[in-house]
Amino acid sequence: MKKIGVFLCWCGSNIGGVVDIPKVAEATRTLPGVAVVEENKYTCSEPGQVAMIQAIKEHNLDAVVVASCSPRMHLPTFQKAAQQAGVNPYMVEMANIREHCSWVHASEPERATQKAMELVRKAVAKVAKLEPLFESYIPVTKRALVVGGGIAGIQAALDIADAGHQVVLVEKESTIGGRMAQLDKTFPTLDCGT
Amino acid sequence: MTAAAQHPNITLYTCSEVESVGGYIGNFEVAIKKRAKYVDYTKCTGCGLCETKCPTKKVTSEFDEGMGQRTAIYKAFTNAVPSKPVIDKNSCKKLIDGKCGVCAKVCPTGAINYEDQDEVITEKFGAIVMATGFDLIDWGKYYGEYGGGAIPDVVSGIQFERLVNASGPTGGKIKRPSDGEIPNTVVFVKCVGSRDVQKGKSYCSRACCMYTAKHAHQVLEKVKGSDVYVFYMDVRTPGKMYDEFYMRTREEDGAKYIRGQVSKIFQDGNKIVVRGEDTLVGQSVEVVADMVVLETAMVPRLDATQLAQTIGFSYDKDGWFSEAHPKLRPVETNTGGVFLAGCCQGPKDVPDTVAQASAAAVKVLGMFAKDQLAANPQIASVNEATCVGCLLCKPICPYKAIEGKEISERAHGETLTRTVANVNSALCQGCGACTAECRSGSINLKGFTNQQLLAEVDAACL
Repeated sequence: MKKIGVFLCWCGSNIGGVVDIPKVAEATRTLPGVAVVEENKYTCSEPGQVAMIQAIKEHNLDAVVVASCSPRMHLPTFQKAAQQAGVNPYMVEMANIREHCSWVHASEPERATQKAMELVRKAVAKVAKLEPLFESYIPVTKRALVVGGGIAGIQAALDIADAGHQVVLVEKESTIGGRMAQLDKTFPTLDCGT
Repeated sequence: MTAAAQHPNITLYTCSEVESVGGYIGNFEVAIKKRAKYVDYTKCTGCGLCETKCPTKKVTSEFDEGMGQRTAIYKAFTNAVPSKPVIDKNSCKKLIDGKCGVCAKVCPTGAINYEDQDEVITEKFGAIVMATGFDLIDWGKYYGEYGGGAIPDVVSGIQFERLVNASGPTGGKIKRPSDGEIPNTVVFVKCVGSRDVQKGKSYCSRACCMYTAKHAHQVLEKVKGSDVYVFYMDVRTPGKMYDEFYMRTREEDGAKYIRGQVSKIFQDGNKIVVRGEDTLVGQSVEVVADMVVLETAMVPRLDATQLAQTIGFSYDKDGWFSEAHPKLRPVETNTGGVFLAGCCQGPKDVPDTVAQASAAAVKVLGMFAKDQLAANPQIASVNEATCVGCLLCKPICPYKAIEGKEISERAHGETLTRTVANVNSALCQGCGACTAECRSGSINLKGFTNQQLLAEVDAACL
């Protein structure tokens, strides 16, 4: 059986102000495979990450659950930390107990705590089944296509070209310039459009 | 503009459109359709003789928003880049019925080619930056109470730009379209089509408050002794020197701002009557004006959503291209290697557009700084042993990542060939649509397999 570490985040008072984190920790310790449960004020902070890395090494963990915010926010952060500690980054699972829990159930702390326990239990069940995954590599053609020759397209094309790469600028009309070329003066400096 | 055209690393294709896109991040294959220009740019010097001699002189100018006229062989405007003309095949007599050919006769370099054909070229790119901009709402269709476009001196903000532009049809003199008179009283109406859930768009077009202040300033500066009224819902001026600019228009230039919406605009003899309300004094008001300018909502380009589908990335309910994350990934799309710059992502002003374009360029350069890219391994994988080759997963894939493939296997002493689904690992973005579609449960998303998800369901239902 995999050795799983669960890291519960207070997110200051964002989560900890609603969800009873010590209670969630207590319930989580009884789950199958869970070798260690830790709490942190801010798991994403440097001390939070260091604590996670130490725990992974100390308990020789195979997989990690971080119960904190949306994975869109900090999954890459925790994947990197896990990797530093020698755990495959795809063995990290997040339980979103902020957006999905403390924020939306702020007026019902007890039920929010209950839901947080369930979300963590769910994530633990999933990591138990996870397998390490490995990135593959693909080549890059260092040539850019910019679609549209208005001020946005011109600026992007110039910046890429100035860095030394080839750019093709495709414009539907017979001239570049787009809307900007139609304008007389532009605010707030009142200089010309072309 | 000229900096882009002259840059040794930039190749410019005008009169061109993206026709199809294949491949994936780092390795796109793009078919670009170059429409016929009927002018050979390797020979044309841009002398402009063809334009002066073209007998078809009364074509409505798109660039001047219908406020001016152009010839059939034309440059959109004086400073056009490239500074060479094209022939509009819909108005050129030679191309319509063969009876003209003046431009070919007068061209000193023999650059005119009536036989020119559209051409499709295919090129490879590592990254694509979308910068297709915006259109303005077709207000006449939705706002009958403002004359529906039938009152000549009720114009849109972009038409006003052409009227006030030194290279525009009036040489920068503000004149009424109907009779060429200089208007003394001008009314501006903001939020036409913006923040109007019933008839227009729910969103704020962001740039209008500021350019309305600029328009008001321009009238008051150019027409001495004129009166300017601005009907507004709110004035939004978040930006460096923005509020100062707006306050100057009110306090120094003397533009009169009326907080309230306009209910009706109608012609009364030589004048235009604007009827609305002033919500600050709680009264209805009526302004008798010489000209009315409607500051209209920005909307996506008509063909924007179709283009997004061609290239394969997402857009929102209004048709603006979707960024991968509203705060943390504002210039990336959910499709790897496709980036967003400017108003195609949503309404914005010039400074924001330029900032976003440079940000998109940096994202491209970040990609180009690497010789190879790591691909997310959380993608779909097919269990060929159970896949029946129905390929229901193929049309459901928004990234065109699934194709059928033939496999051979030995069974009962025979070699059988059958079709199974095959996932292109570079194209797959791991959305999981195929796994939901697969009837035999043969496609799994790595990191989100059916087994893993069911373990979650079991745990949740404990």
